[in-house]
Amino acid sequence: MAASFACLLKTFGRKAVWKGLTNSRYTGKPIFGINRWRSIQAASQVVLNVPETKLTSLENGLRVASEDSGLTTCTVGLWIDAGSRYENEKNNGTAHFLEHMAFKGTKKRSQLDLELEIENMGAHLNAYTSREQTVYYAKAFSKDLPRAVEILADIIQNSTLGEAEIERERGVILREMQEVETNLQEVVFDYLHATAYQSTALGRTILGPTENIKSINRNDLVEYITTHYKGPRIVLAAAGGVSHSELIDLAKYHFGNLPSTYKGDAPALPLCRFTGSEIRVRDDKMPLAHIAISIEAVGWSHPDTIPLMVANTLIGNWDRSFGGGVNLSSKLAQMACQGNLCHSFQSFNTCYTDTGLWGLYMVCEPNTIEDMMHFTQREWMRLCTSVTESEVVRAKNLLKTNMLLQLDGSTPICEDIGRQMLCYGRRIPLPELEARIEAINSKTIREVCSKYIYDKCPAIAAVGPIEQLPDYNRIRSGMYWLRT
Amino acid sequence: MAARVARFRCWSRIHRYGLVVCRRYSSGSAYPNVSLSCPLPGIPKPIFASVDGQEKYETKITTLENGLRVASQNKFGQFCTVGILVNSGSRHEAKYPSGVSHFLEKLAFSSTAQYGSKDEILLTLEKHGGICDCQTSRDTTMYAVSAEVKGLDTVVSLLSDVVLQPRLTDDEIEMTRMAVRFELEDLNMRPDPEPLLTEMIHAAAYRGNTVGLPRFTPVENVEKIDKAMLHKYLQSYYIPERMVLAGVGVDHEQLMHCASKYLLGVKPVWGAGTPDKVDCSLAQYTGGIIKCEKDMSDVSLGPTPIPELTHIMIGLESCSFLEEDFIPFAVLNMMMGGGGSFSAGGPGKGMFTRLYLNVLNRHHWMYNATSYHHSYEDTGLLCIHASADPRQVREMVEILTREFIQMAATAGEMELERAKTQLKSMLMMNLESRPIIFEDVGRQVLATGKRKLPQELCDLINRVTAADIKRVTTKMLRSKPAVAALGDLSELPTYEHIQAALSSKDGRLPRIYRLFR
Repeated sequence: MAASFACLLKTFGRKAVWKGLTNSRYTGKPIFGINRWRSIQAASQVVLNVPETKLTSLENGLRVASEDSGLTTCTVGLWIDAGSRYENEKNNGTAHFLEHMAFKGTKKRSQLDLELEIENMGAHLNAYTSREQTVYYAKAFSKDLPRAVEILADIIQNSTLGEAEIERERGVILREMQEVETNLQEVVFDYLHATAYQSTALGRTILGPTENIKSINRNDLVEYITTHYKGPRIVLAAAGGVSHSELIDLAKYHFGNLPSTYKGDAPALPLCRFTGSEIRVRDDKMPLAHIAISIEAVGWSHPDTIPLMVANTLIGNWDRSFGGGVNLSSKLAQMACQGNLCHSFQSFNTCYTDTGLWGLYMVCEPNTIEDMMHFTQREWMRLCTSVTESEVVRAKNLLKTNMLLQLDGSTPICEDIGRQMLCYGRRIPLPELEARIEAINSKTIREVCSKYIYDKCPAIAAVGPIEQLPDYNRIRSGMYWLRT
Repeated sequence: MAARVARFRCWSRIHRYGLVVCRRYSSGSAYPNVSLSCPLPGIPKPIFASVDGQEKYETKITTLENGLRVASQNKFGQFCTVGILVNSGSRHEAKYPSGVSHFLEKLAFSSTAQYGSKDEILLTLEKHGGICDCQTSRDTTMYAVSAEVKGLDTVVSLLSDVVLQPRLTDDEIEMTRMAVRFELEDLNMRPDPEPLLTEMIHAAAYRGNTVGLPRFTPVENVEKIDKAMLHKYLQSYYIPERMVLAGVGVDHEQLMHCASKYLLGVKPVWGAGTPDKVDCSLAQYTGGIIKCEKDMSDVSLGPTPIPELTHIMIGLESCSFLEEDFIPFAVLNMMMGGGGSFSAGGPGKGMFTRLYLNVLNRHHWMYNATSYHHSYEDTGLLCIHASADPRQVREMVEILTREFIQMAATAGEMELERAKTQLKSMLMMNLESRPIIFEDVGRQVLATGKRKLPQELCDLINRVTAADIKRVTTKMLRSKPAVAALGDLSELPTYEHIQAALSSKDGRLPRIYRLFR
């Protein structure tokens, strides 16, 4: 479920590309999900047809969490509480650089050995870095679980970090940067962070600026590992065909030597202050305007996250190829469709430990920006003042459906386990999650939205032909209604 | 300020060491303000299921009196995926303006006899935690719903209504015209040309027939398609004999019960008039070339330029998925592999496939080289897509033709084993997901009346030898090439030269001597 919290949690780095047996055969859009749980309401107990998420802590603080569904394939990975947020101006980009270096060979295996071993097993090795988390995971046949864990342990503990490889990787990362820059959604979200969290750690990008990519050296990488890759900050998560006891044994053997303590104080989570502000990058040569507007929301574990998620679902997503039908539960989609106001929009709620961004990303023709912005803000104000019970019921149902259907296959389940373990220190049982959603009504939504949206200063990032975007003060004045 | 910092320190430590420290937040509402890190008090204790051994794969199939087949695959869980697959797609549109099935895809789950609007359908589904989707390919249309098992009866009744009783109102058809136009516009604007190239190579390989017919509505047909025409088409193709009701995560008896209740003796809205003759033509592989000269120098939607590329796709006839040779072709496709020169994905993405080793790793100017295998009930197409700077098109084409010729050489033991393992793992990993199991069950039953289980497929893959690969390739190389070319084509070799290269021993293009270039 947490995957939907982080629908816009950015994952640079690598994403697997699955090819079908025949291309015509397995190219299904991933909109249906698998769900293996059943809840039969009993007085004080619920029977779930989902395997239990088992959790064990090792002596050095490393946590092992797994869910065994008896498949012939599995996903296993390391979720590490370390991302670009722990960097400063000088070493911004280190976490991501390190993620790249993990695949460049260890004391035991050269890069070629590692690649051949994975490919010959029919396995996949992947990694990504976000602002608060670094993730390494493998997908493999269940029978290869021990080897997969051994490889993961090897790449994060014994990486060679060779000078030559570091030099070569600079070019690769700079190329990745170019690739990211062609994706306007990524660009806009980087700008949004840069303005909303200006001069704090969350405002910086994950890749880091070019000069850092050119200057990060072996010492920076080693220091980052020794500071952050500690037992208590790592979760070994697995799903699919995995036995928890086997996983514990493997974890003890391969990760038992990870240090658990710090010499001095543990590094503090840097404070990140939200500033209502804007960045405009006007370029009239671009065909479409890409705009994100957001207010400050709450962190992962704050109870108000759930009502904000419902509000987020209520605003919804829309794409003009959907036509008028789909997602009519969203009033904004109806308006966008009827008035031809935009090409697409997406409501988002990106969470961090102690803060978050809740808002809307839109792609518009230059001459509809003002209208689209007006209707967006009108909807937001309606959330705060007069949202109806039936809309909320509908959004709650949709949110539950989306969360449940997302847990489809071993990789999404494993991701859910890993992320929840880092964010909440536990995996929230589904009945509890349902109960938390169920407890919300239109009054809750009005209260919570008023608390975070009404009369608050938004952060805005806009790229493209944006002449029509109203000035900041006008947008700010759309964040409240004058009522007599 | 100091207190604030201290709080955050403490906060981060809580976070890090996983200590359960409950914090209360003042939210002022009746909503429980307990941190998500702590269990909510008063929640019933969950009792979890445990896995007893490996999951058993079993597909049950029954045919109803009217010829409709019902297939189910049991899988534990509260959710199921149920849908109707119809043997209807763009390949059946020879006698209609192309785009009829594309329109039907867009119109799916709109108003029906029972439901006044798409919104009503969605509302009904939401009550059972469900979502719906319709997808059309060249040969099949799939209407599918994922929802809680206890809503099965409603779901099947809804599916029957959606497939057999759509209202197709003027408003909805007008909306669809708009949605189709937008989709065509986006297709041409997208930097990724893959869907366009796939369309072109099919048109080249099967000129004017069956799977060569356009999958997307041509712009000039958008206004031509109307309700009468859709009804005429539905009358011929949406008949019980051409349908499968498939369900994953449902009990077969229950599904049968619902099927006889809602799909037996139902009069479709288009009446029982004399249907048109169904187009049963077999695919005729013709080969040929389709060119699309297009200025690709500025395809980027943003300020960062994407380099100008020319895209080439070369394909040869492989075989249908009903033939035994289908498996060797699938292995061959896996062995060719490939991807983008800068594609996402770590080890496991096929770094040791031939298109990486022989093409992308050696020719750094190439931007992309990927192998695709399209397979249908009567034919198949194995093709390679490549892209590079327009000035290097000739060189790129020669690299592709040489790779095709190389396929007929004996495959190395290592690379063959690797390809087989990867094909098996890809198959099993895909089948982790319920909608994919649904699609697999549905398509197999629609085409063959039965389902090959994953384990059987794995056994077949295990049996593929280097000799099989050689045999199927040799046969494939006898077909005329199909070529699709998109972008600046000034350096594109002639079709005859590509054909000559593919029938030569070494795959080289005939030399051309030009005094003035």
